[in-house]
Amino acid sequence: MRYYLIVISLLVILFGSCNDGNRCYDSVDTLMVTTLSLNGFKDIKTLIIKGINRNDVGDTLVIDLTSTLTKSYPLPLSLSADSTGFVLNVNGATDTMYIRHSMIIKLISEFCGFAPNYVLSGSGFSSGIDSVKITDAKVNTQSIVKKTNDQNIIIYFSSSAH
Amino acid sequence: MTRILLSILALLLISSFPALAQTKAETWRYEGPRIGMDLSRFLLPYMQSAKRNGWEIQADIPYKGNLFPTFEMGMQWYDDKQTKFEYKNNGTYARVGVDMNIVKFESLKDHDFVFVGFRYGYSVFNQQTDNIQTANYWEAISTNLPRHDMSAHWGELVFGMKGELLPNFFFGWSLRAKIPIVVTKDINMHPYIIPGIGKTGGGTPFDFSVGVYYRFPIFRSKTIPKPIKMGGAKHPGLNNENDPNNPDYGGSQSGGSRNFNQDR
Repeated sequence: MRYYLIVISLLVILFGSCNDGNRCYDSVDTLMVTTLSLNGFKDIKTLIIKGINRNDVGDTLVIDLTSTLTKSYPLPLSLSADSTGFVLNVNGATDTMYIRHSMIIKLISEFCGFAPNYVLSGSGFSSGIDSVKITDAKVNTQSIVKKTNDQNIIIYFSSSAH
Repeated sequence: MTRILLSILALLLISSFPALAQTKAETWRYEGPRIGMDLSRFLLPYMQSAKRNGWEIQADIPYKGNLFPTFEMGMQWYDDKQTKFEYKNNGTYARVGVDMNIVKFESLKDHDFVFVGFRYGYSVFNQQTDNIQTANYWEAISTNLPRHDMSAHWGELVFGMKGELLPNFFFGWSLRAKIPIVVTKDINMHPYIIPGIGKTGGGTPFDFSVGVYYRFPIFRSKTIPKPIKMGGAKHPGLNNENDPNNPDYGGSQSGGSRNFNQDR
């Protein structure tokens, strides 16, 4: 009995000393999934999206020169401000859009660290945009794994302006 | 002086080995409260990258021979410096429960046992996270989460062994599956370690405990505790006290008196 007690104790200590390593298996990217819609029968042939006041090389978020009707685009939101602005160039016409949001920082895991979680509360936009519909106000690290045709916002462009 | 110290040490060692120290007192079975310390808490700092220090005392007392009501309490200090944040978690915890011996004691002197048991645990702790680094397309920020006082309730299933290595000195281990019941909510982070439970990330938390214990031999008796009956089919003649063919019960002795001295 005592022999087993000691042998098993050593095995228990060895078992307990094992760990799974300091690895991160989860995403910490929080991106707002956006789809675009152009009223009428027109196509979105070219699309360029940048952050507002971000004009340096490498600041372009999206360049898509193919038909974009069925695509969705992940866009980052500000970590410190309560709204984020984007400049959208659709078929050569430029518009701006602001999304209002609140943000909390949330732990993803011990080894991945923290990521921002947002709740979208409203929007503002220039005249080339008809409306912005918030379909899912919660933006977190799981937003980018949404199913096809599922998004956080839909931007409806005015066909007359594009 | 050295010779005197060596003589005392030799006497202590000799008196610790039962075979070398036969006395009349061994016809008694000594029981009493057992108090010890979980040594695994001192090993944890060497097993993990984070600073994890603490202590835990454990105590039990025999009840009807095979049941051991148990009380455990401890403290833990955890300081985890990750690349993108620094996490601190400190707290105190206590557990109450019962262990049940599942093997038969072989003799009056035999106190080694294998047990299963359960615990209810309660922990009061706080967590604080500093220097959280986050960055994306727009900017990089550093923020802190202030100290948050929290509590947790949980249950434990326990399996282990304890053996008397020297008279009244026990060594034992236990494996524990922990089931968190209620943990204070925090919108920013669920604590990934809780004093008394351990790491909580992913699945059922498991823990182990390796301890040394001292028993205060304040009760004595001349009977070996009967094993706890676990139910199941009854077999005629097996463990039947009145069965004259059952050697465990001294054959035809009247009044059910048991001859325990046959072990000596």
